[in-house]
Amino acid sequence: MSNGKKLTWFTVTLFWGCVVFGLTLHGVVMIAHDAFQRHGAWAEAFQEFRLHLFAPGYNFFLIGILNALPFVLLAIFILFHLGTAAQQAPVIVSRRLSGVAGAVAVAIGLSTWAHLATTLHPDAQGALVYFFLPIYLMGLIPLGYAVGRLAGMLLFKKPAPPA
Amino acid sequence: MTRRQIWLNLGGLIALIGLLGLFYWTSTGARAVPALIESLKDKDAKVRIAAALALAEIGPAANAAVPALLDQALHDPVFYAGTTAAGALRTIDLVAARQVMTAYLPALQSDDVQTRRTACAMLESLGPAAKPAVPTLGNMLNDTDERVRMHAVGALGEIGIPATLVIPALAKALHDPAHAVRHRALSQFAFSIPSTEAVIPHLKQLLEDKDRGIATLAQSALNSPHRQAKDRASVYVTMLQMSRGANDYALHKLAQLGPEAAGAVSAVIPVLKDERPLHRYLAAEALGAIGPGAKDAVPALIAALHDIDPVVQGSAAEALEAIGTPEARGAADAYRKTSAQK
Repeated sequence: MSNGKKLTWFTVTLFWGCVVFGLTLHGVVMIAHDAFQRHGAWAEAFQEFRLHLFAPGYNFFLIGILNALPFVLLAIFILFHLGTAAQQAPVIVSRRLSGVAGAVAVAIGLSTWAHLATTLHPDAQGALVYFFLPIYLMGLIPLGYAVGRLAGMLLFKKPAPPA
Repeated sequence: MTRRQIWLNLGGLIALIGLLGLFYWTSTGARAVPALIESLKDKDAKVRIAAALALAEIGPAANAAVPALLDQALHDPVFYAGTTAAGALRTIDLVAARQVMTAYLPALQSDDVQTRRTACAMLESLGPAAKPAVPTLGNMLNDTDERVRMHAVGALGEIGIPATLVIPALAKALHDPAHAVRHRALSQFAFSIPSTEAVIPHLKQLLEDKDRGIATLAQSALNSPHRQAKDRASVYVTMLQMSRGANDYALHKLAQLGPEAAGAVSAVIPVLKDERPLHRYLAAEALGAIGPGAKDAVPALIAALHDIDPVVQGSAAEALEAIGTPEARGAADAYRKTSAQK
């Protein structure tokens, strides 16, 4: 597989991976936590989750959508940013990949931590995190990209022009 | 990536968003009712409970589910499945809610303690729709079983109207020998029922209760915003105007305030035409509780005598009698005669 094809495959995988991760993170955490509490009854945990998808006071479906918002925006950014990278010099591609890695790491890390913390240590106001998390992510994902891109600039130097 | 590949993936994302929107649209509102009716027949009680809660949220548009909900409220072996079904009925169909009330009222006189407890809790789940059960529930405060009395207090608090009967009954329960009953009655005054001047001495007496929990709760009841707000009615009027979701709560509270809520009449009158029967019923109850101060509502209440819901009609007639102008009395009398002939 040529480098161009590899980059295309990687971009498409990352694009859909981000969308699916954002949509399913809340469900996966809830189902896994419930199944763990029920000593491995995955089918029952899934049924419990399905029952609360649109249930008043739970609205797991809307929580999933809310959580997916920053991930969808990140996915669109990745699609255009990496999708058009093949026309750039290899060092720019590497730096873009490094920036995207920073953004994805922040998005996945922060949201996974927030969902796990909310599920494992529930309290009356805990659900507010589902409202504020996307807002925080919108601000922190660009920051993650900037840090990643900076690291890329330090790691991938432009070749010196021929003397 | 070629431009085509980029736009194809973006198109796929838009298609996914469309599919999710379609899934949401078909799974919510009146469109979800047939599937929810099927869920009411599920073997798993949790599924039946979730379905009943979802139907309650949909409201009158879930009218097709009334027979199944009625069956669940009256016959479900799982207690909580029965109460959620009864709770759903009060938002969908008041006549069906009253049927549940009528079915459970005789159970209050049962020799079996558990049957009496269940009946009280079932009436509690019906909320203000079970208003005719208040006198009987008041008598249940003399029951020999502590938990029956506790459930009766809960039911009285949840029904909440007429305040003229509910508040004295709950005040009596403040002196119940059982801690749990006193605690439940105090909770009503601390968080739900507006305490009148007549209740204050009872609450002050409980400040000296040996049980610190009771004494603290008595202090909460005395400090309750329900009691302290200078113009309590205006708070509920604002809630009524700001949010449709607050209608149940705000109307219920206005109905409990009685003549003190006279300033709310103009805000309550339009609710008599609301699509939800529970809202129309509570609006009529609030106007009736206000009494002569609600004379501006007479034409709207006369129109409500022709409401499609007989429970709303009955409440409108009671409200007209309470307002007491010659026109209001005449309309109420005519309604009573026509109802008797029917």
